[in-house]
Order: sequence, then structure tokens, then C-alpha cells
Amino acid sequence: MTCPRFETDGMRYLDGETDSLARAEFERHCEGCADCREQLRQFAELDTMTRRITMKDPTDEFWERYWKSIYRRIERKAAWVLIIAGMTMLVAFALHEAIQSFRVITFEKIAALLVAIGGVLLLISLIRERVHQYRVDPYKDVKR
Amino acid sequence: MKTPCTGEGIARETLIAWKMGRTEAFERIVKATMRQSYAIALGLLGNEPDAKDASQEAYIAAHAARRSFDVDRPFYPWFYRILRNRCLNLLERRSRHPEVSLEAIEHRDETEISPERSHERRETAAMVWRALFSLSPEHREIIVLRNFQELSYREIARVLEISEGTVMSRLFYARRALREALANAGGASHAPGVDAQ
Repeated sequence: MTCPRFETDGMRYLDGETDSLARAEFERHCEGCADCREQLRQFAELDTMTRRITMKDPTDEFWERYWKSIYRRIERKAAWVLIIAGMTMLVAFALHEAIQSFRVITFEKIAALLVAIGGVLLLISLIRERVHQYRVDPYKDVKR
Repeated sequence: MKTPCTGEGIARETLIAWKMGRTEAFERIVKATMRQSYAIALGLLGNEPDAKDASQEAYIAAHAARRSFDVDRPFYPWFYRILRNRCLNLLERRSRHPEVSLEAIEHRDETEISPERSHERRETAAMVWRALFSLSPEHREIIVLRNFQELSYREIARVLEISEGTVMSRLFYARRALREALANAGGASHAPGVDAQ
């Protein structure tokens, strides 16, 4: 059984998050608590093991490219937004024109109709996928 | 790679300029925090390509949402939530099993030791790294923030928006889970608390 003090005081002690007074007080507690002494020994050993690992720092070249890549992706995203907005406006205009002269079927009208149908299908597919993901997501109630 | 910085040294003027859409201000913010963001993503995701992708995506998302950022509050806790969500989303896409790369880590020897001992320690380091990725993302996250990023309890509480008491408690359960994972994965000799025969 774990001594209830270890979960809080033991962690603080191990991580050096105590002042000297609390530190001395926990050390006194440990003298009389075999469980805390044992837990402290095990957790200190684990701490040493994790502290021996260090994540590799990527090269300077990596960091040079890091920001540039973010900048380019933002630039491209803006370009895509403009292209999609322009395409949407063009399709809306074409549909408007098609409705105005409903009986005459032209090549442009068919093309605009295909783009519009494709867009709607894509949208439905995306919505369906999102709904499905939400339904099967076991972590949907977990606050992130 | 230890980058104990919470990005709070970013000047308010820089944050205001960024909110107004100034690219050079955003560049300053990214360059001040990118090492920490990448390291946290690496700790959560386990491999360099995913860590790079998720951390960069987080900056792009933060830039898109900059108008909702309050310049009177520190940048990093706000950004951290975006970064964390990106990492968790990526993990979910991988069914919460990260692709762990041992290339992402190196082993530190504080003192001169024999090649055999060094090899043994490298093996143990690899085992600890793998065991870390068998933990839940929440447990892994708190160990990464404390042991790898060396954030204080106060800093962890701030970025995770939890109390210091919860930090302690979560650390305790995360470390206990890591100890158990090590015992299960590598045999008794690698788990603290069980002496090698």
C-alpha cells in the first residue's frame, strides 16, 4: 500500500519543489515510513533513467528550413483560399446564368453543373466522414 | 534537447504586431518557441517527421486564429493547447499508437564509463523511451513536460490549465505507470525497485 503522503509530498521532494523546511519535514517522515522510503528509492531510480535520455536537437539547417516551411505553407493556404473563393464565385455566376436561360444547354453550363455536383458530393462525403468519426470516437467526451 | 522556456519572454509589442498580421512578428514568435514546441511534439508523437509536421501545423493554426488571442496573456499556454490538439489528433489518426523512433533520442553519460556499461545504458534508454510510448498521452505528456522539458510544477499547471495538486497527482500516476510498463516490457532488471540479478 502506498503511503498517501507520497503522492504529493514525495513528488515535490523528488522534483525539488519543496522549501528546506518541507524537505526536512518529509525526510523526518521517511525515517518512520518504510513505504515512503521504498517508493522514493524506486521513483528516484526511474527519474535517473529518464534523465539520462535526451531528445536529439536537429541541425541548424533543420531550424532554418522550419520557419521557411511554415511561411510557405501559410502563403499556399492563402493562395488556395483565393482560388477556391474565385472558383465558387465563377460556379455561382455560371449557375445563375444557366437558370436565366434554362432551356438552352451549352458546354459551359454542363461544365459548371459538373463542378457544382462534384463540390456538393465532396461536401456530403466530408460531412458523413466527420459524423462517423464523431460517433465512433471513444475520446469525444475528454476535454482537450 | 532541453528547452526550458515557456515563450513568455515574447514582448507585448511583438504579439500586437503579430495580431495585426505582421509576418516578421510571427517569425520572431516562431523562432522563440519552435525548439520547445518541436520537442514537446516529439515527446508526444515519438518520431521526427510527425513532430515536425504537427508543430508546424500548430503554428499555422495559431496564425489563423491569432485574432482570438489576448495579448495581455502569455502566448505559450494559449499556443500549447493548439499544439496539444494537433498532436492528439495525429495520434488518433494513428489509432493512438505512435510510431516510435529511437533515432529521436540520445543517451547522456555524465561520467566516463566502460563501452559495455555504455551499451547497457543505451539499451535501457531505448527501453524507457519505448515504455514511455505505451503510456496514455496524458501520462506521457506530463513526464515529457517535467523530465524532458524541465518545466516547474507552476509552469506545467499553467500550460495544462490544471492545479499544482493535479500536476503532482498526475505525475505520480504517470511515473507509476512508466515503472510498470518497464517491468512488463523489459523484464525485472530494468524496472526500478527490482534489483538486477
